[in-house]
Amino acid sequence: MTVPLEFVFGRRVLRDPVRLVRTLWLPVTLFVVWDVLAIERDTWWYNERYVTGWELPFGLPLEELLFFIVIPVVGLLTFEAVRRVLEPRGG
Amino acid sequence: MAEYTVLAIGAVVAIVSVELVWLRTGLFRRLAFAVSTVVMFVGQVLVDGWLTKLSAPIVLYDENQTSGIRAPWDIPVEDFLFGFALVTLVLLCWQRTAAGDR
Repeated sequence: MTVPLEFVFGRRVLRDPVRLVRTLWLPVTLFVVWDVLAIERDTWWYNERYVTGWELPFGLPLEELLFFIVIPVVGLLTFEAVRRVLEPRGG
Repeated sequence: MAEYTVLAIGAVVAIVSVELVWLRTGLFRRLAFAVSTVVMFVGQVLVDGWLTKLSAPIVLYDENQTSGIRAPWDIPVEDFLFGFALVTLVLLCWQRTAAGDR
């Protein structure tokens, strides 16, 4: 679903990986910490049947780290794509 | 204590406050922000709906730590606050890293 967005509108988001890292490091860190704490406190957990079983330190499923990168990128692509439609003369 | 509920509300309040009081990027005034939020909400309903469906859940929750309110479908309402907090914080950081004044 997001692949077309990446190729058509990714020019602003994916073209500047330094900006992407500068943007993502804080949210990713904060939400990974939240997730690890929640897993630790059994606020939520993952059905073993449906995850790969590949775990990062502190019991964080690899899928979760990927989620915290993919969702922000999708959000950024969405935002920039919408901007492009709504603000045609914007930079 | 409904930990997840409290943390999710707290996260949204904190992030909104950071923008209104400190960062002041003007993100919330942009129509693109409202539209993006709606788009992400729709996407979340689909993906999170699938992840949390009680018939075969991929993610499970301690009901003592949530409000117990699940809607639409079996999505804990806290998940929407969590998602909004994540994406909004990312967009705020994106605005902050923009070249020049924006």
